Amino acid sequence: MSGLRQTGPVPHVRTSEPDALDAALAACAEGDSDAFGPVYDALSPSVFGAALAVLRDRDHAAEVTQEVMVEVWQTAARFDATRASARTWAITMTRRRAIDRVRSEQSRRARDQKDLDASVVGRERDTVAETVDGRFERAAVRDCLESLTETQREAVVRAYYGERTYREVSEDLGAALPTVKSRIRDGLIRLRDCLGVNHG
Amino acid sequence: MADRTSGGRGDVRDLRDPGEGWDLLPAYALDAVDDLERRQVERLLDADGEARRALDEFRETVGAFVVDTEPPPGLRAATIAAITGDVPAEAPAPAADQGRPADVVPIERARRRRRWSVVAVAAAAVVAVAIPTTVAVQARQEQSQLQAQSDRVAQMLADPDARLVTSQVTGGGEASALVSGDDVLFTASDLPAASDDQDYQLWIVAGDDITSAGLLDTSDDSSQALVSAAAGEVVAMTLEPAGGSEQPTSDPIVTLQA
Repeated sequence: MSGLRQTGPVPHVRTSEPDALDAALAACAEGDSDAFGPVYDALSPSVFGAALAVLRDRDHAAEVTQEVMVEVWQTAARFDATRASARTWAITMTRRRAIDRVRSEQSRRARDQKDLDASVVGRERDTVAETVDGRFERAAVRDCLESLTETQREAVVRAYYGERTYREVSEDLGAALPTVKSRIRDGLIRLRDCLGVNHG
Repeated sequence: MADRTSGGRGDVRDLRDPGEGWDLLPAYALDAVDDLERRQVERLLDADGEARRALDEFRETVGAFVVDTEPPPGLRAATIAAITGDVPAEAPAPAADQGRPADVVPIERARRRRRWSVVAVAAAAVVAVAIPTTVAVQARQEQSQLQAQSDRVAQMLADPDARLVTSQVTGGGEASALVSGDDVLFTASDLPAASDDQDYQLWIVAGDDITSAGLLDTSDDSSQALVSAAAGEVVAMTLEPAGGSEQPTSDPIVTLQA
């Protein structure tokens, strides 16, 4: 698959080449559709991966990927490289769309099938959250997750994969709302510092 | 950036103003807030650049979780078609792998149609682009062509190979193109009068290039213009702001294949 992707006439841009990617995005902002191919190739794996983590369904994730890449094209002028990498920017858009989709699906199901929803959807999500740690490929992320307390890790990972609001997580865990809030907050702060993310 | 060592910073900054939304920033970065909380955080973000920077760091942290995964190969062509206007952007992506090579993109077709769909956007971005001298030259040629027109039209009408293409005009009226060699006699009849701040403008579309063929004088019921267009090129007409545009700023109301 990656072989096919690279046979096109346009130079391949990777997210590890931020300058080339930023330049291609700037060209997209000017309406140059030829610049979009390299942008797609650089960002779509991150977008698809982020969508898949939330939606866990390749067809849904593919639809969201297309929506997000169209949004990348349409809003390229708003991308600000001083604030975030293009990858982070695209992932942020992806998670918002994917989570909106899950929530509207949840409320649709809740309307249609109140009881079934709670039992089936809830169980799927718990299983995923429990097996999550082994799925992070990046060793740094895995190591840093291990530096969290178990309750912090569970709260953060649930928020990442399970896509629950504080309130829902606290109901799931039977923990008080402020407790869950501080677990997510402290867990993500610790991850940020462990990964050395610092825009200061 | 990810290699930078943590300096044990952060505690003071991260705990300040806990009631003002700062403590919600990590959950906001994870999209794990409810609507009330989201509004609270967004008020903070509007007011405080430090909070925006802190949020950017949390978002990057969340991004580090993402395991890059190759999307289905058919999605690339579908997405490029969506942005080039070949299909509506809302059209669902192909469900799964369709075995279509990713680099087989109907780019020529996509491009030609896309021109008109993004042209309004593009026009806003390229106001500084100089008018190509050929356009100005052509505009002057239009004037002299008007003098020579009747002679040439007589020749065209006598040409046994001349073709006539006709089409309805969106918004009313009819247009025809008499094609003889590289000359096209464009005729429009029963066009609604353009408003005071608009003019009808003709264009020659040659693949990617759109060149102005001048404004159409609509003072008579039937308006004619003699333009040059090679076989395969398209004569198009748009309504443009009075005086015309360097590039079309609206969709064509008629297109005729030369």
